[in-house]
Amino acid sequence: MLKDITLGQYFPLDSPIHKIDPRFKIIFTLCYIVLIFFADSLAGYLAVALFSLSIVALSKVKFSIVLKSIKPLAVIIVFTAVINIFFTAGDTVLFEWKFLKITQEGLLNAVNMALRLVFLVIGSSLLTYTTSPIMLTDGIERLLSPFSKIGLPSHELAMMMTIALRFIPTLLEETEKIIMAQKARGADFDSGNILRRAKALIPVLVPLFISSFRRADELATAMECRCYRGGEGRTSMRQLRIGRIDWVSLLVMIIFAIVIILIHITNFKIMGY
Amino acid sequence: MPIIVQNVSYTYGKGSPFEKLALNNISFTIEDGDFIALIGHTGSGKSTLIQLLNGLIKPDSGSVIVNGHNLCDDKIDMKKIRSTVGIVFQYPEYQLFEETVYKDIAYGPSNLGKTPEEISKIIDDVLPLVGLESDILDKSPFELSGGQKRRVAIAGVLAMEPAVLILDEPTAGLDPAGRNDILSCITALHNKKNTTVILVSHSMEDVANTVDKILVISDANLLAFDSVANVFKDSVALKNIGLNVPQVTRVVNHLKQKGIDLGDDIYTVDSAVDAVVRYLEEGKKC
Repeated sequence: MLKDITLGQYFPLDSPIHKIDPRFKIIFTLCYIVLIFFADSLAGYLAVALFSLSIVALSKVKFSIVLKSIKPLAVIIVFTAVINIFFTAGDTVLFEWKFLKITQEGLLNAVNMALRLVFLVIGSSLLTYTTSPIMLTDGIERLLSPFSKIGLPSHELAMMMTIALRFIPTLLEETEKIIMAQKARGADFDSGNILRRAKALIPVLVPLFISSFRRADELATAMECRCYRGGEGRTSMRQLRIGRIDWVSLLVMIIFAIVIILIHITNFKIMGY
Repeated sequence: MPIIVQNVSYTYGKGSPFEKLALNNISFTIEDGDFIALIGHTGSGKSTLIQLLNGLIKPDSGSVIVNGHNLCDDKIDMKKIRSTVGIVFQYPEYQLFEETVYKDIAYGPSNLGKTPEEISKIIDDVLPLVGLESDILDKSPFELSGGQKRRVAIAGVLAMEPAVLILDEPTAGLDPAGRNDILSCITALHNKKNTTVILVSHSMEDVANTVDKILVISDANLLAFDSVANVFKDSVALKNIGLNVPQVTRVVNHLKQKGIDLGDDIYTVDSAVDAVVRYLEEGKKC
């Protein structure tokens, strides 16, 4: 049950997408997110969809898994869409009932927002699907390192992220174990009203907090025993090197960006949308 | 109240790249009042098996029948099954959460709908079973020692008055005195209430000292379900699956190879002592 959460999970596969330098991948993802917001026509979305789907195909991650990553956000996406349908000002009224008014502009806006969110989730989860947490934090640390001159603790931030990511599966496992143990003692998490269900979680949360503190304490001791003293003068075992695949991917990304921006600037439309 | 396990299979993470077969077509029957050990190397499927026995997880195929109730049936009253089959998980002290020991032990029975009077009586019954004094009841479970915490946690499960008690490595991480205490508590409980006990253990010595029958699993398969003597007879087979026979049996086997035959079926230190005495006395006679 808890293990079904896929957001932020890494799938160790052998694909060209997996091999791209994490620094490149992080920047690409950021560019991709920005570019999504430039796509506001049918042509734009087709381009984004084509690009996203080919990346998914190249990454060898199963499409069903990518779709699953949207599921937890389905509520937010639907909510945004509904808000947009009803609260966008427009002239072309399609439907009106008392204070509710659906306009063509509203409908288009809703579709726009929903599509953007879907692509946003696909893009960002693809980053974590194809990049191991260690690579990801390595990439972030290197990307942030220029800012350490102005006092940004880039190493500490990266270390905190590594530890947090490292402990997600551990804590999930632990939660599952405690849930099992309390269920074996007759706990019932699935019935009653919200208040009762919230109360039923206390026997899970208290042991979970206690063990988290214990783990944090043990980890701190273990790190100190191995002479950890922050990022100063610390070298990395994995040196990130930029290779051919990175330049190729950069080229693909630039072409994608140009296509999206061109579609945006020229206001290119298919069948009037 | 027999537990019948029929052709049970279970796979973790079905359909994901992390798919793992945990149990492969396992069948056995546990009779009332059995005292059984479940042994197997780490990751062999022991924990999965015990979770199946009280319906915490459902098998992918096959059936688990407890006291005539099929656990795969959706309409079944799970609370009744949980009160019939109690599980003490590994490191059970990590599941303690209440302000006082009393409240923590009361958690199980109150989930089952017992009245405060009944609970108070149950707790009075249960405390001596795990060797605790009643002055501990008002303390916070977090200020107790490791061994005491473990007993409180076991008491929390016993308070549900299960007819079948499953313990997953109840002695892990305890000092020798603590282990002996826990094991003798379990044996006493078995003798007194005729509770069916399934003991998951990595210690062949503990197993030889306490149980009647042994269930061996290796790599998701059931290898043997037999008496202690029959399982420990084949030390080579046990070694091949990452287990072993008790230390004292290894010594006896070595002596046998050197020409000193103390006899078969020696699995505990006590029986070894008897055999050595017998051997020496026979030697004197000649």
